[in-house]
Amino acid sequence: MSKISGAIHEIHHMDTLSSRDQWVNQIHPLVKFVLTLVYISAVVSFHKYDVAGVAGMAVYPAAVFILADLSFLDSLKRLRLVLPLVCFVGILNPFLDNNVILFQGIPVSAGILSMATLVMKGIFSVLASYLLIATTSVEKLCYAFCLLHIPRAAVTQFLLTYRYITVLLGEVDRITQAYMLRAPQQKGIHFKAWGSLAGLLLLRSMDRANEVYESMLLRGFQGDYQYMRERISFRFWDILYFVFWAAVFILFRLYPIVLLAGAVFQR
Amino acid sequence: MHMADALVAPAVAGTMYVCSTAAAAYSVKKARLDADPKKVPVMGVMGAFVFATQMINFTIPGTGSSGHLCGGMLLSALLGPYAGFLTMIGVLLIQCLLFADGGLLALGCNVWNMAFYGCFLGSLLIWKPMMKQGMSKVKIVAASILGCVLTLQLGAFSVTLETLASGITELPFAVFAGTMQPIHIAIGFVEGLITAAVLVFVYESRPELLFCSTDAEKKEGRFSFQHTMAILAVSAMLIGGLLSLAASSNPDGLEWSIEKVAGSTELEAEGGVYEAADSIQETTSLLPDYAWRGSESASGTVFSGIAGGIAVTAVCVGACYLFKFFRKDRKTT
Amino acid sequence: MSHIHIDMEKVSFGYEKGNEILRQITFHASETDSVGLIGANGMGKSTFLKMLVGLNLNFTGSIRIEEIPVQAGTLAQIRSRIGYVFQDSDSQLFMNTAYEDVAFAPRNYGLPEEEVEKRVEKALRMTGIAHLKEKQIYKMSGGEKKLVSIATILSMTPDIILMDEPSIALDPRNRRNLIHILNSFDHLKIIASHDLDLILDTCERTVLMTNGKIIADGLTKDILTDKMLLEENGLELPFCMQYK
Repeated sequence: MSKISGAIHEIHHMDTLSSRDQWVNQIHPLVKFVLTLVYISAVVSFHKYDVAGVAGMAVYPAAVFILADLSFLDSLKRLRLVLPLVCFVGILNPFLDNNVILFQGIPVSAGILSMATLVMKGIFSVLASYLLIATTSVEKLCYAFCLLHIPRAAVTQFLLTYRYITVLLGEVDRITQAYMLRAPQQKGIHFKAWGSLAGLLLLRSMDRANEVYESMLLRGFQGDYQYMRERISFRFWDILYFVFWAAVFILFRLYPIVLLAGAVFQR
Repeated sequence: MHMADALVAPAVAGTMYVCSTAAAAYSVKKARLDADPKKVPVMGVMGAFVFATQMINFTIPGTGSSGHLCGGMLLSALLGPYAGFLTMIGVLLIQCLLFADGGLLALGCNVWNMAFYGCFLGSLLIWKPMMKQGMSKVKIVAASILGCVLTLQLGAFSVTLETLASGITELPFAVFAGTMQPIHIAIGFVEGLITAAVLVFVYESRPELLFCSTDAEKKEGRFSFQHTMAILAVSAMLIGGLLSLAASSNPDGLEWSIEKVAGSTELEAEGGVYEAADSIQETTSLLPDYAWRGSESASGTVFSGIAGGIAVTAVCVGACYLFKFFRKDRKTT
Repeated sequence: MSHIHIDMEKVSFGYEKGNEILRQITFHASETDSVGLIGANGMGKSTFLKMLVGLNLNFTGSIRIEEIPVQAGTLAQIRSRIGYVFQDSDSQLFMNTAYEDVAFAPRNYGLPEEEVEKRVEKALRMTGIAHLKEKQIYKMSGGEKKLVSIATILSMTPDIILMDEPSIALDPRNRRNLIHILNSFDHLKIIASHDLDLILDTCERTVLMTNGKIIADGLTKDILTDKMLLEENGLELPFCMQYK
């Protein structure tokens, strides 16, 4: 099943990206996490007809792609889940919203405008979270979660899920391959094997969870989750980075920067 | 049913974040993770299990399509509502971060729509009361299907409400809800069956793993699983047939394309829906061209818009390269 | 260093009554003994090892590790002295990078971070994998994972090392490397394995188990050359002796 090996590959790939020694990768994870949320909120909050406003927000992904030396083409495949969804929802707007509004003096079908902003919002928000995870490892994100006072036990559980996803994906891959080799005519798992195939894997996973717990116990675990070597401290750069981008987001959100810049040229 | 960031307004996303966080905080307290340290590794590994098994295609008998496992209901039947809910959050967060399946801002919505209903309602309203008087295969199958259908219905309804409250789509409420709900009955039914198959297997081999099981549980084989499955398959086909009849009697093909949108990941049916949507796209691109037939003053604004865009981009890109250049410079010296 | 010893007296254990996995086991080991534990599949080798670290507690008889009885109240004390290497490295290694995993035990024992770092580096050096320090576990090969597993217990500086099938899933070179590493430890170690050649190369003493009982306990060179005894108990001569 290529879907599964694709997923494993994706995890490897993101991991390789986030462990590179880039300047953006060194920024404090909490700063990047909060900035990403602020950015997405700002993008999404634009009025549905404000095409120019949303378009201006492209500065952030554009800048980070360059700063972090990431390939834009590489990120495009992450849009495959979101873009169809957003497009289908947006595609109805030109039909249902037949109002004609004046866009900077030009009469435009309102539905088309709202569709355009929706698609742009979809793309920008996905790119922003891509840039977050491509420059920040899951472990560092977990450190940020701890700073946000998310209980350690919950963070540990999240880390364990992340750790065992590749292990279990590998198992699922092998099981389904073994099944398919003996049932070449079938596209999926026949219903007679539904329960036993997934059920056996479940029992094995439970046993594995048990062993993980034993392994923790044997190494002195007594209910405290102490880990995270580096206490990542805030540097001057982190604060500057945060303040800079926060200011840019606010500026672009409140003022039509793109149009103002254009007006300067016209004069 | 994973919602994208673009489909929610910040206010809606924020509200749902608050709701989901409250439920999560309550769960952390109730799951008593500190009292039973074994729970955390079990939750971690089970989260990975749900993630991995959701990638298996289970063939639906008599159709060309396949369904997937319902994680929320499965986890709540194994771990109970609170631990199940927390585990589900972990799964959704990884799907969102690593696979762009659902947005970061919309995570609060997704947690609520998929994890909250599945774990809290599925477990507390359906699983627990039904299993109180002892378990049986029939009860497990019934609870799984009922639970999946109910939680998916509520989840789909929440998606409708959240999207409408965000003011994203121009669709009237009735049309949106009227298309979201029926398709999710079918999906819920299929997911329920698959989940039931897995839970029955667990019940037969290691019943003590199930939530609410008592140690004195005895195995009884009054009704074989395949027997049950056969009956359920027949009723599934009946319901499916009725649904498709209802669909074809509906002249408006648009509604079905929305459904495809709404339930895009759950049921992978090969169909003409995508083609239909493609043709819609073509017609829209040919839609009235009055948009750019503006007056002279208007063309001026268009110019300023484009020039402004180029200027901003140029400044931004230039600044980035300069910045990088100086950073490198400093590193080498 | 005369305090290191394991004493089992008439230990029996079973998950269900009447179906015992271990029967009347009496076993002693001390100092720097290296003991190979052999026997066909399902004869109780893994259970035997788990008894020593208190993962199965409702046994009869007595088990004492360095004079401390194995019971619910003493587990933390006992486990800090014993390192246990699991058969499946993926179950043993639950953190995301080698460093974090090797540091897990020292951190749990409350050591300051500088000491933790020293211990981790030393453990990684001893197993020859200092270069894997920051590598993600899931990107490692089976051999690398096994070495990290061993490092995770070395960082606890245990007196006693228990290993369950350490050479499984290793290629010949990694296996050779493992033998080399095992021989460089002067701990008391017990190695359960089907790899009789590995036992031959690493252990002076061998214990043969069948149906939960110790059938033979003696010098490796005597037991592993006794073709009759081995074949009666579902085993064969080590490969290196088969064609001599």
